[in-house]
Amino acid sequence: MSDTTPGGHSDDYGTELRAQQSSDAIASRLRQRDMKTRASVKLGEKVAKWVITIGGLMVIVAVLGIMVFLFRVVAPMLGGGEILGNVRYQLDTRQDTIWNNGDEFQTLGTVVAAEGRVITFHIPTGTEIARTQWDFNGAEVTAVAGTLARDRIALGFDDGTVRFAEVGFASTTTSRRNLPDGLRDLDARDRELDGRVFTEVGTGDFRTLSPVVSLGESQAISDSAIVALDYRIGGTRERPTLSFATVDAAGVLRVSRSRVTVNMMTGAETVDTTTVELPSLGLADGVSVTGILLSGSADRAIVATDDGVVFRYDLRNFDNPSLAEQRRVASEGVAVTAMTFLSGEESLVVGGEDGSVGVYFRLQTGTDATTDGRELVRAREHTPMPAAIVDLSEAQRQKEFSAVDADGNVWVYHSTSDRVLFELARSGDVTTPSTAMIFPRSNGVMLVSQGGEVEAWQYRDSHPEVTLGVLFGRIWYEGYSEPQFVWQSTAGTDLAEPKYSLVPLIFGTLKAAFYAMIFAAPIALMAAIYTSEFVHGRVRATVKPMMEMMEALPTVVLGFIAALVLAPFVEEWIAAVLLGFIAVPLGLMVGAFAWQALPPRIVLRYDGLPKFALMAMSILITAWLAYRAGPWFESALFDGDFKAWTTGRIGTGTPFMFIILLPLSYMAVAWGFRRVMGEFWRGRMRSMARHEAGRLDALRWLVLLLGAFVLSYAVASVLTLVGYDPRGGFVDSYQQRNALVVGFVMAFAVIPNIYTLTEDALNSVPGHLRAGSLATGATPWQTAMWIVLPTAASGVFSALMMGFGRAVGETMIVVMAAGNTPIMEWNIFSGLRTLSANIAIELPEAVKDGTNYRVLFLAALTLFIMTFVLNTIAELIRQRFRKRAFQL
Amino acid sequence: MTTATAPEPTVYHLRRSAEGSALDIRDFNLWYGKSQALHDINMEIQKGSVTALIGPSGCGKSTLLRCLNRMNDLIDDLRIDGQIQVGDFDIYGPGVDVIALRKRMGMVFQKPNPFAMSIYDNVVYPLRVDGVTKRSVLDETCERALRSAALWDEVKDRLKESALGMSGGQQQRLCIARGIASDPEVLLMDEPCSALDPIATLKIEELIHQLRGHYTIVIVTHNMQQAARVSDNTGFMYLGRLIEYGDTNTIFTNPKKKQTEDYVSGRFG
Repeated sequence: MSDTTPGGHSDDYGTELRAQQSSDAIASRLRQRDMKTRASVKLGEKVAKWVITIGGLMVIVAVLGIMVFLFRVVAPMLGGGEILGNVRYQLDTRQDTIWNNGDEFQTLGTVVAAEGRVITFHIPTGTEIARTQWDFNGAEVTAVAGTLARDRIALGFDDGTVRFAEVGFASTTTSRRNLPDGLRDLDARDRELDGRVFTEVGTGDFRTLSPVVSLGESQAISDSAIVALDYRIGGTRERPTLSFATVDAAGVLRVSRSRVTVNMMTGAETVDTTTVELPSLGLADGVSVTGILLSGSADRAIVATDDGVVFRYDLRNFDNPSLAEQRRVASEGVAVTAMTFLSGEESLVVGGEDGSVGVYFRLQTGTDATTDGRELVRAREHTPMPAAIVDLSEAQRQKEFSAVDADGNVWVYHSTSDRVLFELARSGDVTTPSTAMIFPRSNGVMLVSQGGEVEAWQYRDSHPEVTLGVLFGRIWYEGYSEPQFVWQSTAGTDLAEPKYSLVPLIFGTLKAAFYAMIFAAPIALMAAIYTSEFVHGRVRATVKPMMEMMEALPTVVLGFIAALVLAPFVEEWIAAVLLGFIAVPLGLMVGAFAWQALPPRIVLRYDGLPKFALMAMSILITAWLAYRAGPWFESALFDGDFKAWTTGRIGTGTPFMFIILLPLSYMAVAWGFRRVMGEFWRGRMRSMARHEAGRLDALRWLVLLLGAFVLSYAVASVLTLVGYDPRGGFVDSYQQRNALVVGFVMAFAVIPNIYTLTEDALNSVPGHLRAGSLATGATPWQTAMWIVLPTAASGVFSALMMGFGRAVGETMIVVMAAGNTPIMEWNIFSGLRTLSANIAIELPEAVKDGTNYRVLFLAALTLFIMTFVLNTIAELIRQRFRKRAFQL
Repeated sequence: MTTATAPEPTVYHLRRSAEGSALDIRDFNLWYGKSQALHDINMEIQKGSVTALIGPSGCGKSTLLRCLNRMNDLIDDLRIDGQIQVGDFDIYGPGVDVIALRKRMGMVFQKPNPFAMSIYDNVVYPLRVDGVTKRSVLDETCERALRSAALWDEVKDRLKESALGMSGGQQQRLCIARGIASDPEVLLMDEPCSALDPIATLKIEELIHQLRGHYTIVIVTHNMQQAARVSDNTGFMYLGRLIEYGDTNTIFTNPKKKQTEDYVSGRFG
C-alpha cells in the first residue's frame, strides 16, 4: 500500500512532487505505527475459532453418533444366525433308537434304543457317561412319544400296553470346596465322575448334571399293538395330570388320563387311569392313521392319516368325546407324515409326504361345518423340504421347529417370521432315518439316527422372530382371524407369540401428531398473524415472550392434567365439548359483528382494552352456554347419549356429519353469495354509514349462517342416504383416554413452537411490502392474507413442519393421556400408542440385547429418522425462503 | 419549542394552478413521543401540478408526505395537531375511513416494492382489495395504468410473469402503475429514484412529466437537480419547519431565505 504512487499522470511536476512527499509521509506514518495486530488479540481469535469449530463438529458428531449407536444396536436383529460348531459320533446301540433328549446346556444327551438300552453321553465329545438297561418283559416297542420338555416319555408296546418313563437330567450346584476327587476330564470345560458332569460356571461354582432315568409300570390299554401315541403332562407340579392318546393296530383311538395322587404321609404315588374310546374315524379301506397329537390339557386330539386329512376331536367333555372337524391338509393320496404343536399349542405344524410344511390355527369362525364353531385354518405355508417330512420337533420356548426329510435334510424353521433359519449341513450317514430335537434354549439341534449315530450342531440366532416383514408387514399371528399389524411385545404367558409390528406405533405417532396439528395449526397461525399484523408493538413484546415461556411448560405436567383432569371432564361433558367447538367460534363472530354495528363514537372510545374484554367475554359466555346446552344438544342430535351413539347402536351419522360439514357449507354459501350479488352488496354497503353497514352485514351473516345450516344438514342427510356413516371411520366407540384429549393438550405443547416460528416468518416480510399494500387502500387483514402470508408461506410451512416434528417426538403427554393402546384406527375417540411412548413404557422392562430391546431401539431409530426428515424438510424450505426474502 | 425567539415565518411565492389546491395543510404539528418533528406547517398543494419537498435528512419531509395518506398511523406515540384538508374533508378528522382515504392517494416508495405476484396482479391489486372481480374492468385498468406508467410496451407480453423478474427501474414504474391504478387524486412519491441508476431515474422523471396535469404529484427528493427538473413548486424544509415554499425556479435561482440559498447552493445538507 505504501509503495504505490497516488494520483495519475500530471504535467505539473510540483503537484506530483507534493503528492510524492505526502505519500512518503503517509508511508512513514504507517511504518511508525505497529503493523502487527497484538498477539493476545490474535490468540483470542484463534482460540475462539478453534473452540467454535470443535464445538460445532462435536454437535454433528454427537448427532451422528446417536444415529450410529442406534443402528449398531438394531443391526444384529436383521442379520441371520450362524453355526458355531458341530460334532458327530457313533453310540453303542444294538436296535433302532426311539427317543433322544439333551439338556439345556448341551452337556448331556440321552438316547433310548428299542432294546431298552438307555445311554447318556457327553454331547461335545460323545463320551459315554452312564448306561441303563430297561426290561420290557419281552414286549417290543411299537410307538413312543414324549412331552414338550422331552424328559417324560410314553412307550407303546406290541402287546397293547403302555409304560411311562423318564429320561431327564438333574442339575445342582457344587461349590469348589465340595468338588470330589478323582475327576476325569472330558474336555477343556467339563469333568466327570460316576455319571455326574461338572462344569465350572462364572461364579466359581460347578454346575453338576446327572441323568435321571426311570421306567414305570406297564398299563394295559388295548388288545392289539399300539401304533401311534402321544403323551402330555398338564395340571400342577404337585398334582400332575398325565394324558396320553393311543391308536392301536385295530385302528381304535383311545385317550387316557391318569391322576397321580401323592400320599402326604407315606409319599407313595397312586396312579388312577381313566380311558375313553374316541368315536371311530370311519376311514376308507387302505387308509390308516399316521399320527396322533394331544394338547397339554387333553382337551383336543388331532389325528392324521396317510390320505392327507387331519381329524380334530373335542375332548373338553372327557367322558363324551366328539369328532369336531375333519380337514384336508394335503392333496388326496398325500400322507401326513409328521405333526407337532408349536410351543403354546396354538399352531399345528403338519408335514406332508410331499415335503410341504403347513401351519394351522384353530380359529373361532362360527362355522357350521364343525361341531364347536371352530375350525383349523391354514395360516402359513413354509418353504417345503425336498423330500417327505419324517420328523417335526418343536422348540420349547420359541415358535421354532426342526424338520427332517426322507433325504436326511435337517432344517430349522421359525414359524412367525416364516423363515428357514438353518439348513444344517450333514456330515454323517444321511440314508438312515433320523429324529431331531432342538435344545431347550433354541441354540442347537441334536440329530440321532436309528443306527445310533449322533450329530449335534450349536448355533446362535438371537432374533429369529424378527424380519423386516415382521416389523413392517402384516403377519398372521396365532389366534388372529387374518394377517394384521400388531404390536404386543409381551403377554400374560411366556408361550405367547411376541408381535413386533412397528406399523401401529408409527400410525399412532402420526395420528397423535395429526390431531394435535388440527388444533394447533389454526390457533398458532391466527395468533401469529394477530400479533404480527394487528396489535401494537408493545402488546407483541409482551405476548411473544409469554408464548415462548409456554413452550417451557413441562409436558409431563400437561400430560398429567390431560389424563387426570381433562380426560374425565371431556368424557362426562363430551356433548358440551363438541358443542363448544361450534359455539365458541360462532360466539367470537357474533361479538365481531356486534362490534361493527356499534356507533362509531363508542367504537372509538372503547377500542383498546374493553374490546379485548368483550372478546374474552364472548368466549366465556359461549363456553358457558355450550356447557348449559350440552344435554339438550346431546338429546337433540345424538338420541341423548353421545357415547352410545358413537358405537353405532343408536341414531344415524347425519348429526355428526352436519357438524363436521358446517364450516365447509358456510364457505360454500358465502362464496355463492359473493358470486351472485357481491358487487351489488358492496355498492350498497359503501353508500351507508359504517355502523349501519355493520348492522346490515351482521344480518347478512346470520342469513348466510342459516343457509349454511340448511346446506350442511342437507348434505349430511344425503350422505346418510347413500349409506355413509362416519362411525366406524374417524368416529367410533368412545374411550376415556383418546386422541381428542391428546390432540387438544399436545396442541398446547406445539402451539408456542409454531407460533414463534410463524411470527418470525411473518415479521421478516419486508415492511415496505406491507406499506405498499396498505398504501393502495388494502385493509390490514387483506394485507396479511394477500401479501404477508404468501410471502412468508415457506417460513410458515416450515413452522408447521417443525410443530409436526415436535408432536411426533412428544412423549410424556401421550404416555399419560393416550391410553397406550397400539391400535390402528383413525377414530378420534380411541386411544393410541406412539413410538416415543412405547419406548418410554417398555424399555425399562426390556432385557438388554433381547429382541424387544433391539426392536425398541429400532423404534427410536424410526422416530429419529421421522423427526430428522421433517426438520430437514422444514429447514430446506426455510433456506429457500431466506433466499427469496433477500430478493424482495 | 427549542428556540427562545419565535421562528421566522415561512416565505411563500407559490405558483398557483388553475384548478386550485388539492391538499391544504393548515397549522400542522407532529410529535414522535416528546420530540416535535413538524412545526406549524402551512402548505397548499396545487392540483394537477408537481410539488417537490426538499431538505436535508431528518428535516421531516418524508414524515409530512406520509401524513398525507396516514401511513404514519402504525407508529407508536405519534401525536398530531392541525388539519390536512382534501377537498372538503379533514384527513385527521374524527371517523375518517383511512382505507377509503388511501384509495384516493396513490403512493410510490423509495425502494421498488412489487409484490411477489405477476405483473398483472400487481397492477390490479388496488382494485382487487376494493372488491372488483369483473375481468373486463381489471384488464382495462391494467392496460391503462401500465400505459400511463410507460411500461405497457415493455411488459404486455409477459403480464402473467412474476414482477420480481423485472429490472429495478421497471419495478419502480410498475409501482407507479399500481399507484395510479385506482385512479387516485394525488400521487405521493417518497424519493422514488433514490434506489435507481441514472437511466432508470431519467425514465421516471419523464414519466412524472407525462403525469403532470393528470394527477397531483407530491414528490420528496434528496436530489435537488431532480426537484428543479420535475417540479412546479418546491418546498424547502429544515428542522421540521417549512422554510420556503414556492415556485421552483425562484427557489433554485433566487431564494428568498438565506437557509434556502445555502442549501440549494450546496453549502450544507
